[in-house]
Amino acid sequence: MKQFLLKFWGHCVRLTARWPSIGSIAPFIPVIAAWWIVTELQIFPRVFLPGPMEVVRSFGSLVYTGILPAYLQDSIVRLAVGTFWGIALGIPLGILLGLSQRARTALWPLLLFFQAIGDIAWLPILVIWFGYGLTTITVVIVYTVIFPVVLNTVLGVRSTPITLHRAAQSLGASRIRILWEVVLPGALPNIVTGLRNGLSYGWRALIATEIIVGTSGIGFLMFDARRSGSVVEILLGMIILGILWYIVDSWILAPIERATGQRWGLVTR
Amino acid sequence: MKDLTIRNLSKTYFDPYAGTNVTAVHDVSLKVEQGEFVCIVGPSGCGKTTILNMIAGFIPHTGGEILVGGRPVKGPGADRGVVFQSFALFPWRTVLENVAFGPKMRGVRKVEREKIAHEYLALVKLTEAAGRYPAELSGGMQQRVGVVRALANEPDVLLMDEPFASVDAQTRMTLQEELTRIWQEKRPTVIFITHDVAEAVFLGNRVIALSKGRVLEEISVDLPRPRSWDALNDDARFKELSGRVLQLVRSA
Ligand SMILES: Nc1ncnc2c1ncn2[C@@H]1O[C@H](COP(=O)(O)OP(=O)(O)O)[C@@H](O)[C@H]1O
Ligand SMILES: [Mg+2]
Repeated sequence: MKQFLLKFWGHCVRLTARWPSIGSIAPFIPVIAAWWIVTELQIFPRVFLPGPMEVVRSFGSLVYTGILPAYLQDSIVRLAVGTFWGIALGIPLGILLGLSQRARTALWPLLLFFQAIGDIAWLPILVIWFGYGLTTITVVIVYTVIFPVVLNTVLGVRSTPITLHRAAQSLGASRIRILWEVVLPGALPNIVTGLRNGLSYGWRALIATEIIVGTSGIGFLMFDARRSGSVVEILLGMIILGILWYIVDSWILAPIERATGQRWGLVTR
Repeated sequence: MKDLTIRNLSKTYFDPYAGTNVTAVHDVSLKVEQGEFVCIVGPSGCGKTTILNMIAGFIPHTGGEILVGGRPVKGPGADRGVVFQSFALFPWRTVLENVAFGPKMRGVRKVEREKIAHEYLALVKLTEAAGRYPAELSGGMQQRVGVVRALANEPDVLLMDEPFASVDAQTRMTLQEELTRIWQEKRPTVIFITHDVAEAVFLGNRVIALSKGRVLEEISVDLPRPRSWDALNDDARFKELSGRVLQLVRSA
């Protein structure tokens, strides 16, 4: 028996070494199996905890009716728009704060004050100002994404060795060129880290906002399902959240990290 | 290439913690002729880096003047190339792009500046490494890149602050020999800073002994070139000069 298990294990290791994508799915197999066994044993009533197959069926029908693709698109567009503005505002602000002591003195207290308020805490007033629409959701996401981006950009700018600035200066670089050639790439690994954190918070904020003010989207899907008592759809929503985040992180953010900080030897692998 | 004149240069730092002034450089005067190789040697803390940073324009001086080709230094500039102890290569640029950086800032076209960079890389036998990132190179290779990056920009004066202090002893000797060879080929004006007496005598036309921010003495080095460690290790004149500089530096 032990021999067999060892052999099986060795086989799995070789398989995942050959196809790394299997390696990222493998950890979920025992979880799904356990879920399936628990539901088959009927430990909890079916209405409270449906099995994997029912969730897959529900996925099929929601895709077929077009609800799921539409909601998914809504959520992703909101996240993308919010993140875009979070980056577009956050990086320049972070660079300004990182380079200028005066800007830091003037803006740092404000930054900490507003960071402390928290994203969701803005919802009541945003709903009064902008109603239940895209603007409200975007503002919340921008608000969530921007703080980690700004704080990490500041850190990145300030941790770039002064000798690199000096080297660029004595090779004839102007201040603008230094911004582009030294400051920005020097801060990039930290910016990506900030983006990673920001996106993961933004993702959560999006779902929370959709649950509260949404009229569509994955968060709304789950909230709507609760109203109609459909545990299957709630579970489906949760699973989609997990998968989507996994995809964003491992297909977009991690490759950026590998291509920048790791390649340059700024971040240890 | 131009000459460099330093007159009555001094630097007083303000120490904000102690609330006192610290004078790191006292009244230093120095003339470096065009194409000369001058070494400044002294124990750590004697003000070498401070002098070099003032010449480079990284920090302001508090007294005296610094003239490059007769013009006073105001801040950093491409007329003074710098080689750093910590290499200071741009980690996000390949070796080739690092060496081509100066010409790029001058607006030299891509094809042209890459040709220049390749020429200089060949000078230190790093043609193979052109496409690699600095983090993928050994310390000795990185500093070779550091040296040719500064040279490729054709500065009037080349400033080097203990550039070989952080590589191993064997590599250091090779780098020193390569530097004398490149200097003979290109004849840049060089100010080379070190705490290593043998290194100073091996490299320089002239060695300036520094202590506590003051110039103790200047010694001209009349050893023939090209210089190599094989030839100089047992050379009587080399030993005599090194002994004298060492005595100066230690006695102060
Ligand atoms: N930024 C600074 N502020 C205050 N004192 C400094 C500063 N930089 C250097 N010093 C002092 O000036 C003296 C000379 O330093 P430095 O030029 O670095 O010496 P070296 O390069 O010869 O080791 C030292 O006593 C050092 O403590
Ligand atoms: Mg020093």
